[in-house]
Amino acid sequence: MAFDTLIEELRGKKDRALLMGAPHKIETQHAKGRLTARERIALLLDPGSFFELGMLACSDMPGMEDRTPADGIILGFGTLNGKRVGITASDFTVLAATLSRVHGKKVHDFKQQMHQYRLPHVFLGDGGGGRVPDGQGSIGMTSSAMMGTRSIFNMYTNHRQAPMVTAIMGNCFGVPMWQACAADFVVQVKGSTLSVSGARALQKIIAATYTDEDMGGWKIHAEKTGIVDRTAEDEEDCFRIIREFLSYMPQNNRELPPRHPIPEDSGRNMGAIMDILPEKRTRAYDMYKILLSIVDSGSLFDLKPLFGKTIITCLARIDGRTVGIVANQPLVNGGAMGTDALEKMTGFLCLCDSYNIPLVFLHDSPGFLVGKEAELKKVGAKVTNAMDALSQVTVPKISLIIRKSYGQGMFSMCGPSAGPDFVVAWPSAEISFLDPVVAADIAFGALPDEEYQTLKNQMIREAGPLPAAGRYFLQDIIDPRETRTYLVNVLDIIADCEGGGMGNHLLANWPKQF
Amino acid sequence: MTTIVAPMPGTILEVLVAVGDDVVEDQELLILEAMKMENPICATCKGKIRELTVTEKDTVQTDQILVVME
Repeated sequence: MAFDTLIEELRGKKDRALLMGAPHKIETQHAKGRLTARERIALLLDPGSFFELGMLACSDMPGMEDRTPADGIILGFGTLNGKRVGITASDFTVLAATLSRVHGKKVHDFKQQMHQYRLPHVFLGDGGGGRVPDGQGSIGMTSSAMMGTRSIFNMYTNHRQAPMVTAIMGNCFGVPMWQACAADFVVQVKGSTLSVSGARALQKIIAATYTDEDMGGWKIHAEKTGIVDRTAEDEEDCFRIIREFLSYMPQNNRELPPRHPIPEDSGRNMGAIMDILPEKRTRAYDMYKILLSIVDSGSLFDLKPLFGKTIITCLARIDGRTVGIVANQPLVNGGAMGTDALEKMTGFLCLCDSYNIPLVFLHDSPGFLVGKEAELKKVGAKVTNAMDALSQVTVPKISLIIRKSYGQGMFSMCGPSAGPDFVVAWPSAEISFLDPVVAADIAFGALPDEEYQTLKNQMIREAGPLPAAGRYFLQDIIDPRETRTYLVNVLDIIADCEGGGMGNHLLANWPKQF
Repeated sequence: MTTIVAPMPGTILEVLVAVGDDVVEDQELLILEAMKMENPICATCKGKIRELTVTEKDTVQTDQILVVME
């Protein structure tokens, strides 16, 4: 047959590319309990759905062609949960998946293509950092972005037009860090690390004595920086989490999130919801229990659960429809909102506004965690930023005042005057400028005890929701047991309105990190 | 062995269990008064109370061990 030799040669090259770095490098990767890039792609995507681009790419450095199959970055299309996605995976077995010109061109071009196609894009990070000596010298450095005067920006941007997911699966530096900070959702596998620079280089440069784990282990990002949304026990768990996240999301910002079947036992605990809320106004309780009673069974997907724990931000389904929930957590610091929590909320508003996800707010907070430490962490700026974001949210907002809603905190939780489409309270709601007991101390503390008690009790009574409902600042006061039904009805109304709750995505271009 | 620690600084208001008690996950063990709130401290798993390191009115710090369970 004609071209036999050429076809044979091509087959040889492709077979070589499938072997990745080298057998001993694959063994080392497996010994660390990690899979190779090709194994990861095969496990994450629907079986047999991977359609690769750039398998024949390799380093442009003389003599490096055979050592750099796919140039350390494997990418292409596939399906996930039966829906089309793009996938990019660092191949650690090829020069630790370091960034070179061809590697960079693949990442850039594919990100641009994904941007054009508006498809969800999953980046599986492992390794990274710049490749030496490829980038050395003025030509090496200036040509490293390959494609023109603005081509480098593509590496850091995400216009939130289609969901972008980043997984941190090894010791990651450089490119995976930028992909994590730009992503809509980040998951980190325990045992992996994520930092701008590696400890080995820092030991040489600044005589650092710490490790990659100290700088970017899962606890650092889950609890301190908030860069990571979820932690995975292992790689399989990581893929499960990615599939679950995407099940809540539309394919892009021109679609509504998919509606799912409603599990039969959803809402069966609504009758007992008052058992969760303590009768005593100063007794804390776990807001997760309230949320789990309201949402469809098994549908609560927490984002940044260990960061800024005074506010819960989670995706969930009610009546099969995706909602974004922002809820105070009285169990942590009495629900007083901290600076990390405000930052987390702002990022979550951006996510929901970008992808047509209606927001549900549940209030039970005495306000903000104030004091010297909070001021040093710019609490004023965090409150302002969150309010600025809230003012620009264009998806429907539903506000439920469960218990405490005081002062600026009432506005920050999308209370009356802060733009809710629907706003109601439970009979247990307390709405005021200050906690009525504190306010009574300030205003009447000097009065004789009997008079003080009378005025204090009056203040407590006036904090109830009836007066505000009387002036139509609250649209209704509902029986807590009817909360799920109320939300189902509201979401039905929203679905029937023009666009079905589609937003204008004003927050799509807000920063991903603050 | 599981230890239950204080999530924030405060004062122990009530001790709801005794050494030797069998408890279930999520059961309230202590009430910690902090941030002007009564915060239930719950069992993180099913088990038996082996040691109580605090009594009512004790002041505790963040991460201080309150209960040892087995």
